[in-house]
Amino acid sequence: MTSTSLATPENRTASPATMQALATLNDRLAAKPAAHLRVEKLSIAYSTARGPFHAVDDVSFEVKPGTNLGLVGESGCGKSTVIKALIGLQPEGTKVSGQALLDGQEILGLSERALQDVRWTKISLITQSAMNSLDPVYCIGDQICEAIQAHESVSRATAWARAEEMFALVGLPASRLHDFPHQFSGGMRQRTVIAMALALNAGMLLADEPTTALDPIMQSQIMSRIRGIHEHMRRSMILVTHDIAVVAETCENTVVMYAGKVAEKGPTTDVLARPLHPYTMGLQNAFPRLPVKGQPRQALISIPGIVPNLLRPPPGCRFAGRCPFATERCHIEAPAVTAVGAQSAACHYIDRAPEFREAAARPETWRKLGAGA
Amino acid sequence: MRAYILRRLAQSVLVIWAVTTIMFFMFRVMPADPTAILLERGLSDEARNALLEQWGLTGSLWDQYVAYLGNLLVGDFGSSFLYRKPVWEVLTPLIINTLWIAVPGLLLGAALGAAIGTAVGWARRGGKLERTGIFLATVIRGVPNFVIGIALLTVFSSTLGWFPGFGMGDPGQNVGFARYFTLDFLHHLALPLIAVIIYFMPENLLLMRSGVVENRTEDYIELVRAKGVSQGRVAWHAARNSMLPLITWLFPALAETIAGIVVIEIVFSWPGVGRELVLAVTRQDYPVAQAAFFLLAVMIVLANLAADLVYGKLDPRVVYK
Repeated sequence: MTSTSLATPENRTASPATMQALATLNDRLAAKPAAHLRVEKLSIAYSTARGPFHAVDDVSFEVKPGTNLGLVGESGCGKSTVIKALIGLQPEGTKVSGQALLDGQEILGLSERALQDVRWTKISLITQSAMNSLDPVYCIGDQICEAIQAHESVSRATAWARAEEMFALVGLPASRLHDFPHQFSGGMRQRTVIAMALALNAGMLLADEPTTALDPIMQSQIMSRIRGIHEHMRRSMILVTHDIAVVAETCENTVVMYAGKVAEKGPTTDVLARPLHPYTMGLQNAFPRLPVKGQPRQALISIPGIVPNLLRPPPGCRFAGRCPFATERCHIEAPAVTAVGAQSAACHYIDRAPEFREAAARPETWRKLGAGA
Repeated sequence: MRAYILRRLAQSVLVIWAVTTIMFFMFRVMPADPTAILLERGLSDEARNALLEQWGLTGSLWDQYVAYLGNLLVGDFGSSFLYRKPVWEVLTPLIINTLWIAVPGLLLGAALGAAIGTAVGWARRGGKLERTGIFLATVIRGVPNFVIGIALLTVFSSTLGWFPGFGMGDPGQNVGFARYFTLDFLHHLALPLIAVIIYFMPENLLLMRSGVVENRTEDYIELVRAKGVSQGRVAWHAARNSMLPLITWLFPALAETIAGIVVIEIVFSWPGVGRELVLAVTRQDYPVAQAAFFLLAVMIVLANLAADLVYGKLDPRVVYK
């Protein structure tokens, strides 16, 4: 019944010729360097019936070769939009401006044909909803081989052997390559999508909320798998998540996005230990932390309110409506990005950050705002 | 799998038996006299009764029914009242004639419909190709099929004179099996075949299009695109998944469309089984009509079974129990 007949679990050992071809392929792929990505003034506007929706506005960041950048923010802040645009998957009619240089090559605004050559060879994607990311009518192995054979002129047997290796890397038995997506659990599908993203050892990996659809135990398994692979293969990576704890564990650098803009960015340790932007402070409060002995248990504090409607973005700071420290000026004038060492934030009162941090740790600071709003 | 097929076959036999029974009694309760086609009005009751006896129309309805079923079981459909020949002899050449326009017509209609439907579904939303495709398909689907036939005849036969207007061959040509291999036959075949294709294509096209439109926004299509495969390959993934609903519809529709081809046969005076079926009913030629309906029932039941089996081949999620 299956559409493949190549390797049954019994005769999985590939022929010597295939092994030879696989070794050549592996060497060629392993020689790919980790990519360098520089994103400059990236703006993305979806076209809607009611005018352009400015999902991403003037976003700049850099991913140095072999490093892992965390892109955090709550839902609807434009994180996934950035990822989609980087691999050219924005919906038709979307306006993308700015620059994204991947190893010096502009990857925004490429033709569909030119994109084909960049996709998966230089930049690959671990999708958000692995549950639906696999074609239901093809077996898993076929779908991985399709990616390999689209870019490398190798035989199917060689591609399959490579897929078996990728499966081993994510901890799945090679025999399951013959299975169809519906025979896999959510965690297994997510591993499959990761295996697929690694198949051509692309220099840049985009992981778009790779664990959102999974239960907490599976989330931590998959995240440690991603961390392991990142350390092992040293690819450059952007990890999109709304889980600040994941970023703390995984990423060298962090970009905090709010309502389509960069609120704050910098080395993860700095951003988390000394946040400059009130939104980062609020985001930190909203995640549970393990209690530290001798210190009072930290309360979970949510940020009241919702992300503003980006069909008509507010003129001033986009976080002003939810910020407990906002002044008149915040509502009128958009803040410029101010750097403090390697860290930078878009806030008018960056110099008052220590004072804000103290206040932000108190639940009543945020509650007052919720009552007022 | 095997148990499934056996069970489905058993069910099919039951369905066909039910259809046969209903058909049998329906013809007999209709207030009509089958001898009317052969006997002139006012002929003696004796002659009439002799005919009825010869045709097995005497005795209680129940006895007739039992005899009919018994004959059916050994493949005996009886003799036509009109032609005074065994039904098989009457129908077999007609069935072959019908298959000549039905099989290539339906296959080409389905294949072209699916291919164009994929193209239309994959085209830019609201673009020219999409709008024209949907418009034409909807219009053709709405037009009765005799209009398609008449339009073809008007343009290509009457006005342009490219194709003959009726029948299967010019007079004086080969008859019998050899005629199917003459250019003359193909010349006559062209217009009715095109009519069947045009008649069957729009529904395939629209179904395939809506499937592709639905599938192209699925997450898995996005991942296929992200993999950097060719545009055609991406569209193929959407088309491959859209075939599933199409197949469910296609096979039963095939059988129903064969029944619908009767109109095309009449418009083009094509000596097919559909045309004969209509004539047999109006003539009260029970054996021919019953045999033709029996064949249609068998075809529809088998087509449904085939649809289920093909579906399982196409969709790995289907499990036969």
